[in-house]
Amino acid sequence: MGEQFVLLISASIFCVGTAGFIIRKNPLIMFMSVELMLNSVNFLLVTYSSFLNSLDGQIFALMIMTVAAAEVVVGLAIILTIFRTRHDMDVDHIDVLKG
Amino acid sequence: MFASSWLILLFPLLGFIGLSWYGNCIPKKLVGLVGCGTVGASFFMTLVTLSNLLLLPPEERLGQVQTLYQWVSAGSFKLDLAILVDPLSVFMFLIVTGVGFVIHVYSVGYMHDDPEYSRFFAYLNLFIFSMLVLVAAADFFFLIVGWALVGLASYLLIGFWREKPSAVLAARKAFVMNVIGDVGMVIAAFVIFESFGTLSFVDVFTAAPGMFRPNDDTVLLITLLLLVGAFAKSAQLPLHTWLPDAMEGPTPVSALIHAATMVTAGVYLIARCHVLYELAPYTMYFIAGVGIITAIFAGSMAMVQYDIKRVIAYSTMSQLGYMFLAVGLGVYSLGMFHLMTHAFFKALLFLAAGSVIHSLNGEQDIRKMGGLQKVMPVTHMTFLVGALALAGFPLTSGYFSKEAIILSSYHAEMGNIVFWAIAVLAAGMTAFYIFRVYFYTFVGGLRSPGAHPHESPLIMVVPLAVLAGLALLGGLLGPWVDSFLSPVFGRVVEHHHDNLLETIALAAGIGGIATAGLLYMVSKDRMSLIKEAMAPLYDLLSHKYYVDEIYDFLIVKPTKAIGVFMEQKAEREGLDFTVDQIGLQVKEVSRAISLWQSGKVRTYALNMVAGMVTILLFVVFM
Repeated sequence: MGEQFVLLISASIFCVGTAGFIIRKNPLIMFMSVELMLNSVNFLLVTYSSFLNSLDGQIFALMIMTVAAAEVVVGLAIILTIFRTRHDMDVDHIDVLKG
Repeated sequence: MFASSWLILLFPLLGFIGLSWYGNCIPKKLVGLVGCGTVGASFFMTLVTLSNLLLLPPEERLGQVQTLYQWVSAGSFKLDLAILVDPLSVFMFLIVTGVGFVIHVYSVGYMHDDPEYSRFFAYLNLFIFSMLVLVAAADFFFLIVGWALVGLASYLLIGFWREKPSAVLAARKAFVMNVIGDVGMVIAAFVIFESFGTLSFVDVFTAAPGMFRPNDDTVLLITLLLLVGAFAKSAQLPLHTWLPDAMEGPTPVSALIHAATMVTAGVYLIARCHVLYELAPYTMYFIAGVGIITAIFAGSMAMVQYDIKRVIAYSTMSQLGYMFLAVGLGVYSLGMFHLMTHAFFKALLFLAAGSVIHSLNGEQDIRKMGGLQKVMPVTHMTFLVGALALAGFPLTSGYFSKEAIILSSYHAEMGNIVFWAIAVLAAGMTAFYIFRVYFYTFVGGLRSPGAHPHESPLIMVVPLAVLAGLALLGGLLGPWVDSFLSPVFGRVVEHHHDNLLETIALAAGIGGIATAGLLYMVSKDRMSLIKEAMAPLYDLLSHKYYVDEIYDFLIVKPTKAIGVFMEQKAEREGLDFTVDQIGLQVKEVSRAISLWQSGKVRTYALNMVAGMVTILLFVVFM
């Protein structure tokens, strides 16, 4: 597998994540799209780490995964609370902060 | 040796603090006792200081500065909490505490039924303290402090009956006029500090003769600025309008502040700063001129007033004019001597008038009095003594002081026949108006049906008798005053003898008395004829030369117009409009911008992506 191929896959996954985040209205799916974007970056880091024979990229990837896990916990908690109070999961309806 | 002189100031201050804190919870008798006792103690300490001073040889009596502690010290500038003990300040102490004590005792009777008895005595003590600060000051700073404090005490006491709108207005008027003077004094102090680098009397007066030639601009400026203060405090033209109105206060206040002590502060100031004034002969001429004009101006107004206290108030202005004439002519100790005799007989006249007003339940119009000599024998006798002294009747105290001033107005270095002639004319008027009041009040029949006049209680009558004694015999102190004060002024007043001028002046006084008697006793029915014949003049006088109206037209109305313009045009349509518009426009713009914040997460995300893509494109292709 060449470098280009890996870059292409990573960029595609990132684009899928971005598109998913913009298009979908369900916060859970949007959350998953965010994870997709994060992991496309992780994928890139790990690949380059092996190409360049350096462990730095893998350590970064591990750290990003840890932070992402923590984020997910907080994010899911928020989503759960919103659902409990509003019984409505459409992000377009959650706009109490509008100007 | 003079360390105990501090007690003179301390007692009235303690009295003021004590009465204002505890005045309402202690019995009335104790209030009176504290009020009078503190001033009495002060008077006693003054006598102790006087005897200490007299023990010293005359040339060592000057410049005894008693420093309590150093208050401010910044570089070369020092401000000590200090009092100056010299013949001039002790002389003023004697008058302030002595006459003040008598008037305090009288007030115990006069204010007896007033519900706010203790407040009155607290203010009186505050006044005595302030006046003592003024005369004891050893530098211009504390002089101004005292100057402003007596203005405050005067304001509080004129407006003592605060439920009377006229009293409140009069108090305000007096305060504003006095503040005009204070401003002059403060600027004078700035100029003095600028030229001398110090405010201490002793330093300034020692340095002044070496620094200035006569009539230098700076010394003229200083003396004229100090004069603004002196004229405002002593009700000289053109800052005199507050004094007649100040009669709204209780009568003992008029006697203490607006006759015997505070209004003489201007004369004291000029006497105290005589070193500066001698360097400014132009200012001296000006003082003498204003003094003599005020004397005749006020005297003429007094002739047509019907309010017993106002007549005496105008007379005070007129007599202050004589004092200014004296100090303007450089015969300072004569001015101070007249200040003293005037304090005696004018306090007496006010207190006697107060006694009359008291017995007639507040009636002040002399047309409604009359025939009181039978029912109020002591008041009648004492008023007569005061009136004779004011008119300069031979051998009373006023005779010695006023005659000497009138004579000096011709014979002094700067004197001339014009000063003398006006002084004599004013003396004739003085005699006329005070005896007009006398005949109206005490002779004939009572013109106010239903009134039951009675002699005042002993506590009011005894002070009257004491003051009457002083007014009668005070003239004998003349030579002593002259020699006592001569170290301060550096000279003894020359005594002139001029039988012709003396006789004419005497004749003017007695002529005034006789005219009053003739008009108001013998030919009462012709009064209206005379009034009609002199109607324009009479109108002019009874409207006080329209000075209040002129001030109203020249100062009050334009100021009000400017105020209305500022409020309605400049502020509402100028400033307020601008500020409001700035606020409104900012609000509109913000509202437009705030629409960007839609609250929709996906829009934000799209914007972010778009931004990111733009930046990427920019980085890659540019």
